[in-house]
Amino acid sequence: MSCIMVLAESRQGNLRDITFEMLAKANELANQMNLKVNVLCLGKNNESMAKNLSAYAYEVFSIDDELLANFNSEIYRKTISKVAQEHKPSLFFIGHTAFGIDLAPSLAHELNLPLITDCIEIIREDSKIVATRQMYSGKLNARVLFKEQSGMMTIRSGTFKPAELKLSGNIVTKPIPEEFKTGHASNFLGYEEVPTTGIDITKADIIVAIGRGIKEQKNMPAVEDFAKTIGGELACTRPVIDAGWMPKDRQVGSSGKTVKPKLYIALGISGAFQHISGMKSAQTIVAVNKDQNAPIFSVAHYGIVGDLLKIVPMLKDKIKEMKAGA
Amino acid sequence: MNILVGLKRVPDTAEAAVIPDSTGKDIIKDRLTFSLNEADNYALEEALLLKEKYGGTVTLLSFGPKAFEEVLRMGMAKGADTAIRLWDEKFTNADYFTVGKVLATACQTLPYDLILTGCMATDDGYAAVGLTMAAILGLPHATYVSKIEIQNSKAKIRRELEGGLLEVKEINLPAVLAVQTGINTPRYSSILGIKRAAAKPITVLDCAGLNLADPDFLAKTILEKLYIPIVESKAEFLEGAPDEVSTQLAKIFKEKGVL
Amino acid sequence: MNNLESISSEIREAIIESGGKEAFECYECGMCMSLCPWFQVGNVQFPCYRTPQNVRLGAVMASEEKEELAKEIAELFRCVACDNCKAFCPRHVDMGDIMRAVRRILAEYDSLPKELKDVASKFYNVGNPQGDAPEKRNDWATGLDLPIYKSGMEYGYWACCLPAYDARLKNIAISTAKILNTAKVSFGLVDTNVWCCSETLRNFGAEKVFKELAQRNVTAIKEAGINKILVTSPHCYTTFKNEYPELGAEFKPTHTVQLFAELIKEKRIVPQKPIKKKVFYHDPCTLGRQNGIYDEPRTVLQSIPGLKLVENPIFSREYSVCCGGGAGGLWQDWPKEERIASVRVKQVKDTGAEILATACPYCILMFDDSIKTMNLDIEVKDVSELLVDAL
Ligand SMILES: Cc1cc2nc3c(=O)[nH]c(=O)nc-3n(C[C@H](O)[C@H](O)[C@H](O)COP(=O)(O)OP(=O)(O)OC[C@H]3O[C@@H](n4cnc5c(N)ncnc54)[C@H](O)[C@@H]3O)c2cc1C
Ligand code: SF4
Ligand code: SF4
Repeated sequence: MSCIMVLAESRQGNLRDITFEMLAKANELANQMNLKVNVLCLGKNNESMAKNLSAYAYEVFSIDDELLANFNSEIYRKTISKVAQEHKPSLFFIGHTAFGIDLAPSLAHELNLPLITDCIEIIREDSKIVATRQMYSGKLNARVLFKEQSGMMTIRSGTFKPAELKLSGNIVTKPIPEEFKTGHASNFLGYEEVPTTGIDITKADIIVAIGRGIKEQKNMPAVEDFAKTIGGELACTRPVIDAGWMPKDRQVGSSGKTVKPKLYIALGISGAFQHISGMKSAQTIVAVNKDQNAPIFSVAHYGIVGDLLKIVPMLKDKIKEMKAGA
Repeated sequence: MNILVGLKRVPDTAEAAVIPDSTGKDIIKDRLTFSLNEADNYALEEALLLKEKYGGTVTLLSFGPKAFEEVLRMGMAKGADTAIRLWDEKFTNADYFTVGKVLATACQTLPYDLILTGCMATDDGYAAVGLTMAAILGLPHATYVSKIEIQNSKAKIRRELEGGLLEVKEINLPAVLAVQTGINTPRYSSILGIKRAAAKPITVLDCAGLNLADPDFLAKTILEKLYIPIVESKAEFLEGAPDEVSTQLAKIFKEKGVL
Repeated sequence: MNNLESISSEIREAIIESGGKEAFECYECGMCMSLCPWFQVGNVQFPCYRTPQNVRLGAVMASEEKEELAKEIAELFRCVACDNCKAFCPRHVDMGDIMRAVRRILAEYDSLPKELKDVASKFYNVGNPQGDAPEKRNDWATGLDLPIYKSGMEYGYWACCLPAYDARLKNIAISTAKILNTAKVSFGLVDTNVWCCSETLRNFGAEKVFKELAQRNVTAIKEAGINKILVTSPHCYTTFKNEYPELGAEFKPTHTVQLFAELIKEKRIVPQKPIKKKVFYHDPCTLGRQNGIYDEPRTVLQSIPGLKLVENPIFSREYSVCCGGGAGGLWQDWPKEERIASVRVKQVKDTGAEILATACPYCILMFDDSIKTMNLDIEVKDVSELLVDAL
C-alpha cells in the first residue's frame, strides 16, 4: 500500500471546490489506513495552486506546461499515468465532473485499475474499501467494492465537506515528458458560454415555482426578486404559462419539465397531479398556500399556510440578512 | 460514414417505486416498463442525422439478453441498417468493464468511422462504458457531447461543462463520442419503418462468436448490495405570523445547507 | 403530404391486421371531419381528416421525413375517441377502431407522445395514472366505515382511479357512498387488488398494458364473486360492458346514474333540499353516444327541488361535444386556443347555466381546468354531488 492520490481539478487557473472535498475525504481515510495523501496538479503557471494544495497533502506533484493550460483528457491521461505508475496509489480520487469523467475510464484502463464512478461515500470496513453510489437516479444506494486491493473512484461534487488542514507538503515539480508533446488525436479549441436564453430549469439546484396563486402579473417582480436573492430559477404551473407571464420551457409537470432540485419552493400552487408528477422527487419541498388542504402539502416537507404575497417579501429579507451574516 | 451505436435497454423508473430483489443485487422488475436509455436515444438520432448527411451505414450494438432486441428493433425502425446483440450466460455479474470489453471486441470486427453511445445510463448512472470501450480500442474520445460537426477526418465537438460552459474541441476520427441528452430531437418511427424492422434479422454473438476468452471480460468491481436510502417525508407545518414563519424557514434553509 | 411514393400496401395490411378494416366502408363524404370536435378548434389538422382514405392507400404515417412524421403523430394522437364521427357516419365506419389500429402499431415501438408513454408506464407499474400505491385505492373511504364486497351483497362499488386518488374527485365517491347508504343499497367496495379499468390505454394504443391489467381485473372480480358492479366513471362502464366480455368477464356494470334514477323512482331516496340553480347536464361521450344513457341523469337532476335544467338541443344528448379527456387526452396538453373543453364550456356558458353537471370524472377535470383558464364563474359537479346535497 502506498498512497492515496487525488487529482486536483482546476479551470482557467482556479482550483475547484471538488478538489478540497476529495482531499478532505482522502485525508480522513489516509489516517485510518496509515497512508499518505499525494495530490496531482496539472496546469500552466501552477505555483499558487501548488502552494495552496501543499496544506492538504504529503506531496504535491505539479506538472506545469502550456499544453496543460486547459483540460484535455488525452494529454492528462498520458502525463498522469506516468506519475501514477511511479507511485502506485492504492486509491485514486478524481472528481465526478465533466473533466473527471472524461478522463477516469481511460486512465483507469491504462493503469489497469478498477473504477467506481459517482461515489457519495467511501468507508473502510474490515480493511476493505467500500464505496456507496446511487442508482436509479437516487432511488437506491449501492455498496460497491473493488475486486482487487486498489482502485480508482470518481467523487460526486458537493458530497464531502472540505476540511481545513495545515500540512506542509512537499512540492515536486515535474516536466511533461517530451514524447507526449506532439501527435495528439484531440485538441482544445476554447470555451463557449451557453446562451442565457433557454435556461434549463432541470439543472437548477433551487427552484422557485409559482402557480395561479400569484394572481396578477404585477406580483411577478416580488417573486423574481426573491428567486434572485436565494439564487434560484423561476418555474411555474401551466396556468402561469397560459397567462403568458413565463415562457413554456419554465413549466413543471407532466407536460412540462421534470425537475429534481435540492430545494423546490412552491408558491400558490394547488398541487394538481399533472404538476406534482414533475417535482415530487425534489430533495426538499416547501409549499406556501392559503388553503391548508391544498394537495401540494401532501408532497411538501415544510408547509406554510398563508398568503404568499405577504410571506415572500418577508422571507426574502430574512434570507438576505442571513446571507449577509454568514 | 459508417457509424456504430451502443444501445441499452433500461427500466422506466423515474416515476416508479424501485425495490431491491431478494438477491439484493438487482431490482424487482416485473411491474416495470422498459425503454431505450434516454441518452442512447439521442446518440441513435445523431447517428441517423449524420447518415442522412454523409451516407454510409448505422449499425447498432447492444449488450444484453434476448429482451434487449426490443431496443435494437426500435433503432432499426427509425432507420438503422443492422443490429447485433452480444450475450452469453457467462456475462452475468457484468460491470462497466465487461460491457466495455465485449462492445469493444465486437467493434473490432466491424468497419467504422465513428462510435456513438449515450453519456450515461439512467439505471446505474455509471457513465463509464463508452469511454472504457474507447480506451480498449485505443481511440480518442469525449463525453457529455452536445454538438458534433464533421470536418473531413476530424470532428469538431462541444462538451457540456458545469455551470453553463461549453468546451470546444477537435478530435480525430475514428473516435468514441458519448452523447448528452438534448443534443437533437429524437424522431418517431413510421409504420413502414416498424414493419421493416420487424422483418430484419438480428445477429447474436456469444463468447465463442466474439473469440473472447474467459478472464478477459471479467468484472473488476462487485456490486455487493442495493438498498433504499432513508429519506424524511412528512410535511412539517410552520406556524405563526408571516414574520415568524419566514424566520423559521430561513433557519431551516441554513441548517440543511440548501442555500 | 401523401405523395405517390409513400403509398404502401404494407402499411395498409398492417393497419387492417391491427383492426382497421372498416376503412373500406368509407365513401369519403366528409361528415366525420365536420363533426370532429377538433374541427371547432382553430389551426388544427383534424385527426380523422382523410384517415380512412389514407388507410386504404397505405399512406398513414408513411413519411420517413422526421418533421413530417412528428407532425402526423401529434395529429393522430389528438383523437379523443368521442365517437362523434362514428355516430353520424352514413356508412357506420368505426373510426375509433381505425385510430386504435394505427396507434397500436406505433405504441408498440414507443412511437407515441411522451406524456402517453409515461402514463402507460405508471398504469403498468401501480395500476393507476397518478402513480399512487395500489393499496391506497380505497383510502378515499377512510372514516366512512364501508365494507369490502362479500358474497350476498348486491353491488360491488368500483370508484375509478380518478376519484379514488384525486383530492378533488374523491368527493364523488364519498357522495355516492352516502347516497347508497341512505337508500340502504346492499353494496361493498371492490377490494384494492384491482387496477385501472384501462379503457383509456386501449384507446391510445397501449394494447399490451390494457390486456394485462384488464385480465387481472377480470380474475380479481371473478374471485371476489361480484356479478353486479356499480361504477362512477362511464369509461369503466363502457369497457366493462363492451370490451371485458372478450376477456372472459361475466359481471355486469351499472352506472351510478342508472341506479340513482331507479332509487328515485322507487322512492328509496327522496331529494328534498332545494338547489335553486340553473344546471346544464353535459353528456359524457362514453355514457351517451357510446351507451345510450341520456335520460337517467336527467331524471335524477329533475328530481331535485328548485333545480332548473337548461339544455341546448343542438349540443345535447347525441350531439354533445367531448370534454377532450378521452383516449389519453387527459394527459396531453394543448395550447389555450386548442382545447376542446373550452369549446364545450363556451356552449355551456351561453345557456346561462350556473352549474355544469356531468357524470364522468374525466369531464370534471377537463372542465374545471378550462373554466379556471377562461375565468368564468361556473361550478362543475358530478350528478352524485348534487344529489347528495339535496338529500
Ligand atoms: C392535459 C393536461 C396537462 C396538464 N399539464 C400540466 C403540467 O404539466 N404542469 C402543470 O403545472 N399543470 C398542468 N395542467 C394543469 C393542472 O391540471 C392544473 O390546472 C394546474 O397545475 C393548476 O395550477 P395552479 O396550482 O397554479 O393553480 P390552481 O389549481 O388554481 O391553484 C392555485 C393555488 O394557489 C393558492 N393561492 C391563491 N392565492 C394565494 C395566495 N395569495 N397565497 C398563497 N396561496 C394562494 C390557492 O389556494 C390554490 O391552491 C395540465 C392540465 C391538463 C388538462
Ligand atoms: S363519415 Fe364515414 S363515410 Fe363519411 S368520410 Fe367519414 S368515415 Fe367516410
Ligand atoms: S372519435 Fe372524436 S376526436 Fe376522434 S376522430 Fe372521431 S370525432 Fe374526432
